[in-house]
Amino acid sequence: MRYFDDKPELVAAILAKYPPQGRRSSLMPLLREVQTALHYVPAEQIEEIAEIVGVTATEVRAVMSFYSTYSTVPQGKYHLQVCATLSCALAGSDELWDDLCETLGISPGEVTPDGLFSVQKVECLGSCGTAPLVQVGELGYHERLSRQDLHALLDALRRGEYPGPHSPLPVFVHSGQQEDAAGARHGAELKPLGENL
Amino acid sequence: MKVFVDDRAVEVPAGTSAMDALFEAGRDVPYFCSLPYLSPIGACRMCLVEAGSPRRGQDGQWILDDQGQPKIFWLPKPMASCTLAASEGMVIRTQTDAVRKAQAGMVEFTLLNHPLDCPTCDKGGACELQDRSYEYGYGASRFVFDRRHADKHYPLSDLVVLDQERCIHCKRCVRYFEEIPGQEMIDFIERGVHTFIDGYEGGLPSAFSGNIVDLCPVGALLDNVARFRGRNWEYDHTATICTGCSVGCSVTVDARNGRVERIVGRDHPAVNERWICDAGRFSHALEEEGRLTTPLLRRGGELVPASFDEVLAYLTSELVDVPPAQIGLYSSSDITLEEGIALEATAQVLGSGHVDHLPRFSQLPALPRPTLHQLAQASAVVIAGADLGAEAPVAELRIQEMLRGAAPPPQFRHGTAIADLKLTERMERHPERLAIFSSAPTSLDRSADLVVRGDPQAALSAIAAALEGNAQAASPYLSAAELLRRPGATLVVGSELQAAGGLRLAEKVARSSGAALLALPADSNALGLAYLRLVPGEGGAAYGEAILPVALVSRCRRLPAQWPRLLIVHDTTLSALAARADVVLPAVSGLEKQGTLVNLEGRLQALRPAASEVGEATDLIPALGLLLQALGLRSPVRGLISAQRALAQRFGARVQSLPPEGALLDLGEPFLAETHLQHQPEVGAWAAAHLAAARARAAANRALEVAK
Repeated sequence: MRYFDDKPELVAAILAKYPPQGRRSSLMPLLREVQTALHYVPAEQIEEIAEIVGVTATEVRAVMSFYSTYSTVPQGKYHLQVCATLSCALAGSDELWDDLCETLGISPGEVTPDGLFSVQKVECLGSCGTAPLVQVGELGYHERLSRQDLHALLDALRRGEYPGPHSPLPVFVHSGQQEDAAGARHGAELKPLGENL
Repeated sequence: MKVFVDDRAVEVPAGTSAMDALFEAGRDVPYFCSLPYLSPIGACRMCLVEAGSPRRGQDGQWILDDQGQPKIFWLPKPMASCTLAASEGMVIRTQTDAVRKAQAGMVEFTLLNHPLDCPTCDKGGACELQDRSYEYGYGASRFVFDRRHADKHYPLSDLVVLDQERCIHCKRCVRYFEEIPGQEMIDFIERGVHTFIDGYEGGLPSAFSGNIVDLCPVGALLDNVARFRGRNWEYDHTATICTGCSVGCSVTVDARNGRVERIVGRDHPAVNERWICDAGRFSHALEEEGRLTTPLLRRGGELVPASFDEVLAYLTSELVDVPPAQIGLYSSSDITLEEGIALEATAQVLGSGHVDHLPRFSQLPALPRPTLHQLAQASAVVIAGADLGAEAPVAELRIQEMLRGAAPPPQFRHGTAIADLKLTERMERHPERLAIFSSAPTSLDRSADLVVRGDPQAALSAIAAALEGNAQAASPYLSAAELLRRPGATLVVGSELQAAGGLRLAEKVARSSGAALLALPADSNALGLAYLRLVPGEGGAAYGEAILPVALVSRCRRLPAQWPRLLIVHDTTLSALAARADVVLPAVSGLEKQGTLVNLEGRLQALRPAASEVGEATDLIPALGLLLQALGLRSPVRGLISAQRALAQRFGARVQSLPPEGALLDLGEPFLAETHLQHQPEVGAWAAAHLAAARARAAANRALEVAK
């Protein structure tokens, strides 16, 4: 049995969201449904979605390959995405990545034997002020992540508990001084040009 | 409306794109993604210009500048002129430093990941990217990193190979499949620099897949039949007409070292636009298999090579006691008008009524024929007993154009609009405008709302009854009758109906509904040959109907029911018929002849010989001359010049000086006769044969390599 065979109401509800001439738009929610349920979109479901929407399988692939949300290879229940762009790299994302892969014993494209984890290096997630950073599936960001934090996170996930996203405030900089969480400023103050001379 | 391009003012119709306006003004911008007949999408960003328009104030008057002239509100960034609509008073700058810098920057961007394959690339020398880089680029790259590496030999199908590294993502091929044949085949996969083109439908199951090779601006999509066969500057290009079917598509035949290597489509806005079918493009390799280059003579039961002198001596001795009026002359219907009039003259000299051409139909419609342009602009089309995919493939594309309402494309001084803003991706198609009645599935079924399987003649009778008001309510025949009653509707009939003698019925339907009637001819020049006396005369026998002492048969593959006692075959290869002949004369193919063909519209078009080595092969005129010489007779038509003179006398037109687009001429009254030798549509059936031949050739080459 194919994925949507026993879900006529769901398919009808998704298709009903779009006018007849915009039927192709239902590609996205249908793909998302499969991705969420199976943690990837198998070739068979690509064909199935193409049939439901009335487009070619090529077009379904074209759409889904554009978005990194959808995967054609199986992913774990928790897909860990490690930002590897400049700020995170400076803040130690490479070491974090190596530690993660070693701890889980997998490389990109693989899933841990318990089906829980898969890993991927990604480009900038837009949280440079709180580097380094790991995104857990679509659950949330875990920022300023140390190795201990990472191991604690993995342990919690293994226990089936998701501790929730962790987004500490970024370090604000005023006149060259760094502001801590309590609002106190540290370091030398940057004076207007010429005054430091 | 008036548009100002640099220092030139130009008048263009409303709806024109800035790109067409500036080309109309004689200016130039580079472009990779736009293409006549395809929608403009602004993908390549090469056609950047600076543009601005005057605006009207709240009082409806132009807002004026300090000098009292309409103030030009410049668009803040360079604009892609292909997707920018020209407007009244628009000012376009194509020659400023900013424009040059923007275009050069885009060239550099496009070249970032483009491999430096030019010395081994089949497109080299005829590459839009090469040319535009030379004309508009900086001439140097600042990109020092590794280029993208991808599959360089990715077969999209048996006939088209993709080099993923060379692709610049212009999307022409993706758009082509969706817009022109209406078959979505390929799409962009992945995104950004990783984007590549692929399809998951299993090859390119379209009869028009080869066109993507022509339209690729780089060497990414390559003709697998012609791949690595020659560089563009080595080819001898011949602009001629495809003789595969009665559409008469304009093609360029490229030959190298006397061998036809490649056929590409040529733009003819009124006939094939710029598209040709795969049969016309790729089957030349098949034509080349086992070509005859010398005459063959049967000696001791075997066909052995001989000289023309030996053949003449043999025929002279064999024909001594044969009455010339008993000699049969039969030809296929793809011969030129010149060959046709020579055949007619020869029959007259012989006094023989045993003359015929095949395949042909017994009748021709007496109504004026619609042109392909009119077909593409028809309000509705009803097809009865025709499989266009097998009989006239490119006419199918014109019907797809009709379903999109895309015709006619605007014409400018620079030709067909390069960026026609009326065209968009995924235009709404109107399958309700098309109805098909045929006994077998046809390639257009997928595009029609109304498809009825069954005898097309019975269907036409029912439509005729419906037109007279004798139909039961809400039948498909009533719907078809209503379609035909629309002003500008066209009825298309093909071999199935005409072979069954249904043409008079079709004429009746067309007359009573007011629709135009397009009857597809049986072969590439069957329509033209109908205006020559090439049908059995008084007491004459049709092909294979009587046991004749001698018959000359040119390029008919069909075996006769009755064999002549002496068979002379004029053919390109040793066909099953030729293998049983007493004399085989080598013939040139449709690519190698000079002459005139009449396509399904009645358009006379010039055929020019490709620069290929044909040995002693000739067209039909010298073969007829040889026969007459053996009999000691002499025909008034002995060569191309005398044939053209005879045609000028007959039709009052100089066929040797036709305009490039051909000419629609009135050829007078046709000569008709009943025939049972009907047309077997086979244009669509070439692919399997071609692929089998190509594989055999590849296996032979491999064996040769191993032997070395």
